[in-house]
Amino acid sequence: MAELGVEKGLAKAEKYYNDYGSRVKELKTEGKKIIGYISALGPVEVLTAAGVVPFRLKGNVEEAITKGDAYMETIVCPFVRNVFDASIKGKFSFLDGMVLPHQCDSLDRTSDVWRDYLNLPYFHFFNVPHVTDDPSIEFMKELFRLLIKTLEDYTGNKITTDSLKKAISFHNENRRLMRDLYELRKSNPPLISGSEMMKVLVAVMGLPVNESSELIKEVIEEVKVRKPAGPTQNKRIMLIGDQIDSVIITDSIEGAGAYLVMDDISIGSKMYYQDVDEDKEPLLALAERYLRKLKIPTTFVDTGGTYEDNLNARFGHMRKYIDEFKVNGAILFVYKYCDPYGFEVPAIKSYIESAGVPVLYLEDEYSTSSLARMKTRIEAFLEMIA
Amino acid sequence: MAEEKKGRAVATKTAASIPKFVRGNLAATLKAKEEGKKVAYAYIADGQDEIMRAMDIVPAWGESFAGVCAAKRDAEKYLQKAESDNFSRSLCTYATCTIGFDMVREELGGGAVPDAPWGGMGRPDMILGSAQLLCDPRFKWPQATQHYLRDVPVFVGSMYYPPFDPKMDHHEQEKFYVKYARDELRECVKFCEKHTGKKMDWDRLAQIVELSDKTWDLFIDTYELRKAFPTPMDTGDAMNTMVPLTFNLGTQEAYDFYKQLYDELQDKIKNGIGVADPEKYRLIWAAGLPSWFALGDFQYFNSKGAVFPVEVTYRGCEKIERLELPKTDDPLEHIAWRWVRYWTHWYDKARKRPGSLPKVERIIEYIEEYKCDGVVFHSAFSCRSWHAGIIHQAETLKKVYKEIPILILEGDIVDISSYNEADTHNRIDAFIEAVDAYKNRMN
Ligand code: SF4
Ligand code: SF4
Repeated sequence: MAELGVEKGLAKAEKYYNDYGSRVKELKTEGKKIIGYISALGPVEVLTAAGVVPFRLKGNVEEAITKGDAYMETIVCPFVRNVFDASIKGKFSFLDGMVLPHQCDSLDRTSDVWRDYLNLPYFHFFNVPHVTDDPSIEFMKELFRLLIKTLEDYTGNKITTDSLKKAISFHNENRRLMRDLYELRKSNPPLISGSEMMKVLVAVMGLPVNESSELIKEVIEEVKVRKPAGPTQNKRIMLIGDQIDSVIITDSIEGAGAYLVMDDISIGSKMYYQDVDEDKEPLLALAERYLRKLKIPTTFVDTGGTYEDNLNARFGHMRKYIDEFKVNGAILFVYKYCDPYGFEVPAIKSYIESAGVPVLYLEDEYSTSSLARMKTRIEAFLEMIA
Repeated sequence: MAEEKKGRAVATKTAASIPKFVRGNLAATLKAKEEGKKVAYAYIADGQDEIMRAMDIVPAWGESFAGVCAAKRDAEKYLQKAESDNFSRSLCTYATCTIGFDMVREELGGGAVPDAPWGGMGRPDMILGSAQLLCDPRFKWPQATQHYLRDVPVFVGSMYYPPFDPKMDHHEQEKFYVKYARDELRECVKFCEKHTGKKMDWDRLAQIVELSDKTWDLFIDTYELRKAFPTPMDTGDAMNTMVPLTFNLGTQEAYDFYKQLYDELQDKIKNGIGVADPEKYRLIWAAGLPSWFALGDFQYFNSKGAVFPVEVTYRGCEKIERLELPKTDDPLEHIAWRWVRYWTHWYDKARKRPGSLPKVERIIEYIEEYKCDGVVFHSAFSCRSWHAGIIHQAETLKKVYKEIPILILEGDIVDISSYNEADTHNRIDAFIEAVDAYKNRMN
């Protein structure tokens, strides 16, 4: 095994994937402040501009919840419960603070629990609205102002328009690089496997933006010179869902003889396919990205047109992915007790199926306990579409 | 929500008139077409009641209909219908029950559904949702409904309030929250104008808003009569008497209903008539929507001498003067202030007691004012909104207040498969023993 800190590219991603949080621990000893966030609504640009390191919290599907249930009801989505359990057990003891976005009831209704039991020096509930009309954009700008003020008070650093613009451009660059890496999944066979990709996606969310960009560049360099290898008739799968962050899921798909070539998940393309407009005033541009551009089920979209128009506005990007990445089948993986995703299962399923792509819908826990059953269903699905 | 299979005896005559109210609301949605009125699917506590009333839009309340289905133990067919199109059984069952009903009605051509409880709801002309801090189904449910009613336009507005943060003064934030809420109510008016083809009559709206203020005041005055010993009305009834406030705000009938209830409660107090005889224990229903199919459990409590003079659930209003609302001539801004302050007016108190929460502060206030000896929560598995965070509320209450007996019941609002009567009664028995011991210790 290579020495610590010497690995590059995929090996480095693997290291950070396996020892998630190791890099921010080092940064912490160098005096950096680490602020956690938990979903695609994490306002990373503002955190970067504040001079703190944004660190996305994740759970561990292989670890049973042993402490968290004493504080948080089991009717909360299993991902949130798992991450909270890890937090309360001290897995993220290096955190200086946390920004909890108003993403869904599972987060909103437990925000007091996070605040009061983790008792971090900095905590802010970022009350993102679900609606995207013009008053909502104005409101969102106010929320950003408030977030900025709390971070300034906490860090003592002023967040200027310039520092915000700089952070935005770093994060846009980061997103562009990640999209470049996604491009390498378009070939048949793809140049990078779904599990390798998962490791990269997880690794980078535990790094400061510039280190993340560096790592993505290294992975691109490493992967793009590969020669496509493997059978060409394998089915090409897209994975859809919210907080999927384990290779156990991607391995179950690829282990059954398919290529995972695209995703619409919260740590994946949802994070990287929409930039912040650098030509606009930063708060407006941020508000627009998080409310209007981000494709997540917790923002209500209505075009004022037909239902079909609304579906295109909500899920059209997935049809685009299907064409561009030549997807043959989609797996829609939703956690139990997740209202935002749960309520749109029939709509997503029929929308994608009407593009001629079969969909396997799985409702599950955030746990390996049901892995065998899930694998069987994935295998049956792949057989069906073979 | 009234009439259930096992027939819970209602202690007040006024509450006994609630089924008529609920039936009337459902019937209005079916009759609206003949009367040339528009029907809107509506969701409670969205702040849009008065706009609908001022524009003669007939609200069709899914929560009420699902509650009726549950109370009549006739929801399963709709839950299964929704499940057949991949709606998870873990989702809000008010929503899935109603969506299942929509699916059935569409299959039957969109008219009346023959075997629907109390005739069901009429097909809506529009859907008025409101995303807010209340719950995800508030905006996902309208959207999911449109999947089956594709021609029906959907509006989703917003009605947020500043989140509680012990380290932050929320008063400054309130201003931009209210501005946002008011702007969203304006968007709602615009949407209603577009889809009814009528203009808002602002004077009429102002009058309706004033009537709502009066109803809020009267509701609280009435409910505060329950402080009396013995209490003249308990939560079992309140789960019925909430109907006019929750579903008919801004109507004269709602106001008149509480006037009648007020008079009846005063009468009972004068004559010393209580809910339990003798009244031995006073409890607070501290959070949670009830199991509509098992409202008889309140009577079970009563049979043990336990009464609930107060509950947090469905006490969806406050005395207007306690909210200290800024003056405004804009009725929409007034509605916005009223709702925002409804949520935030416990914040200052909560900040003063280190470690407390507004929800806990509210419980403490009621325990003290209504002289309660125990606390009951109900955790309904399909609704995260009211039921996630209950453990924390219970722990905080013990920590910042005192070691009062607490019972957390588990079940659901609509899904009867979650419920076991014998277990529930056993837990209630054990709890009553704990309350008894607590009372003895305290004396
Ligand atoms: S999976 Fe659903 S419930 Fe869980 S955090 Fe994501 S949006 Fe919220
Ligand atoms: S508050 Fe709860 S029960 Fe009511 S609609 Fe929302 S999730 Fe459903």
